[in-house]
Amino acid sequence: MSHSVAAAPDQSFLDKNYFLIRRLHSLTGIVPIGVFLIAHLVTNSSAAWGAFALREQLPGVNATADKGLAYFWKEVMWINTQIPHLLLIEITLWASIAFHSVFGVYFAMSGKSNTNRYSYQSNWRYSLQRISGYIGILFIFYHVATLRWGWTFLVPGGTKWSAEFAGSTLAAAIQGSENGYTFGGVLVTLLYFLGVTMLVYHFANGLWTAAITWGITISAAAQRRWGYVCAGLGAALMVMGWVSILVFAVVNPGLTRELEEGLQKGHSSLVEPSGNERLARAVRHDDELVVGGMNLNSNRTSKE
Amino acid sequence: MISTLAPTGTAPASGMTEASRRRAMAKANRVVTFRIKRCDGPGKASYWQDFKVTVPKNANVISCLQQIAANPVTADGKPSTPVVWDSGCLEEVCGACTMVINGKVRQSCSCLIDDYAPNEGDVMTLEPMSKFPVVRDLWVDRSRLFHNLKRVQAWVPIDGTYNLGAGPKETPASQATHYVLSTCMSCGCCLEACPQFNEIPDQGSKEANEAAWNSAFIGAHAISQARLFNAHETGKELKEERLDVLMGTGGVNDCGNAQNCVKVCPKHIPLTESIAVIGRQVTFHAIAKFFRG
Repeated sequence: MSHSVAAAPDQSFLDKNYFLIRRLHSLTGIVPIGVFLIAHLVTNSSAAWGAFALREQLPGVNATADKGLAYFWKEVMWINTQIPHLLLIEITLWASIAFHSVFGVYFAMSGKSNTNRYSYQSNWRYSLQRISGYIGILFIFYHVATLRWGWTFLVPGGTKWSAEFAGSTLAAAIQGSENGYTFGGVLVTLLYFLGVTMLVYHFANGLWTAAITWGITISAAAQRRWGYVCAGLGAALMVMGWVSILVFAVVNPGLTRELEEGLQKGHSSLVEPSGNERLARAVRHDDELVVGGMNLNSNRTSKE
Repeated sequence: MISTLAPTGTAPASGMTEASRRRAMAKANRVVTFRIKRCDGPGKASYWQDFKVTVPKNANVISCLQQIAANPVTADGKPSTPVVWDSGCLEEVCGACTMVINGKVRQSCSCLIDDYAPNEGDVMTLEPMSKFPVVRDLWVDRSRLFHNLKRVQAWVPIDGTYNLGAGPKETPASQATHYVLSTCMSCGCCLEACPQFNEIPDQGSKEANEAAWNSAFIGAHAISQARLFNAHETGKELKEERLDVLMGTGGVNDCGNAQNCVKVCPKHIPLTESIAVIGRQVTFHAIAKFFRG
């Protein structure tokens, strides 16, 4: 009764684990990559709306634009100094992106676009999902390599990004120099607009198709309803992405750097050293180490 | 002028559709050019040939092909051979006469020339389906389509040595869902329009072809039939075996959600819904297998 199509003995690794790999491919697009994308765009766009979220008065920071940049700077510093296991989180993300990319390209190769004959909207989304994936891979690689891994030879103007000067170095990197726009900078900015647009689309549309893949949305009506949710989320993320790029495309890198220097000097609580640094300093007797209200270094400091 | 009109079935039910407007204005006994993609045999190169046909009111593609067969002379007056096509029922229930008409796949028997080419001198293009090997001209070999139904054992297992008695009862609600799924005529429209189901070149032998078909996307028709028989009280017996195939290479995961299948299906089968149902079934099947073994 059973057919010859049941598991052949000479199956490849991919064939044996096909379901797992397919569903991991789908899952990694949402968690962690999609979730990270949301967090990343919320943080970056805070440079635009941060003035409304800033909970304290910072000395010398009065203009709405400056408050936004200060808020963004605070957020980036918090991420880079306070989030535990940051490198582990990053490596998980990079591994997920690599996995999603490699299998995404492999799976996409099995398809053949036919929008010329069947120009339905859903068919266009199918093709764009694959194109946006290809462009997205290139953009993410450039983005991470230049701003995170410090491959400054790929940055016009050679700016190296740092968390302490997040806004000014980002502005200089996408504008092409620390003194404003260069031709290379225009290309980088356009690449950012294209890359972010493609990736937000890829995530929103992928979230819609994932619900079908996993069998969450069944009927055409349910798929349409979930489509509105995904389109709404995609539109919100798209605005955040575009606004983020726009802010750092228009701010003056030099003035932003002055603002950031001021923030570091004038408000040292914001550049709170990480736990490890504090411990190291305390051990070197540079600092007082207070644990549970008790100053562990007080005896030693008093003796010296 | 080449019409890009969608199949009449997809037009809205209310109001005067573009197709019915064309049908009303169509002139009797106009001359229509049939631009046909021809092929003299398996593996041979395709070429285009034009035929002029005097089209009466309410003619369909088949009746025009019959006219060409009766008088196989090309538009430029050269004698040719009759154009070969496949057909059976001539009432859109067997699926045999499926071909690509003006760029879109549909049955040629239910394709009225009045809807597509209402004016003197209009052009109709006929091509064989591109996802299956051509036997000759517009006739293709759909073996892969039927093989893929075998992959998911799209049947009710009742063959045995003794009488199993009356079948289980079905509620009117489930009957309503299952009936539309059962109207699939295995025509191949969903596969022709699918960007994930693509032509596989001849591998040299039946066994090699079947092996190649087994690792390529199975197609919406087979997924929908698996849903039908998984829901059938007796057909359920093979549910786990069907899901094992559908979670593997070329199974439901290979669907790219372009959703062309549901738009070109002449029977309006909710194919994308079937794909989602099977998606849900393989999800639960995989979780159950992971924990239960």
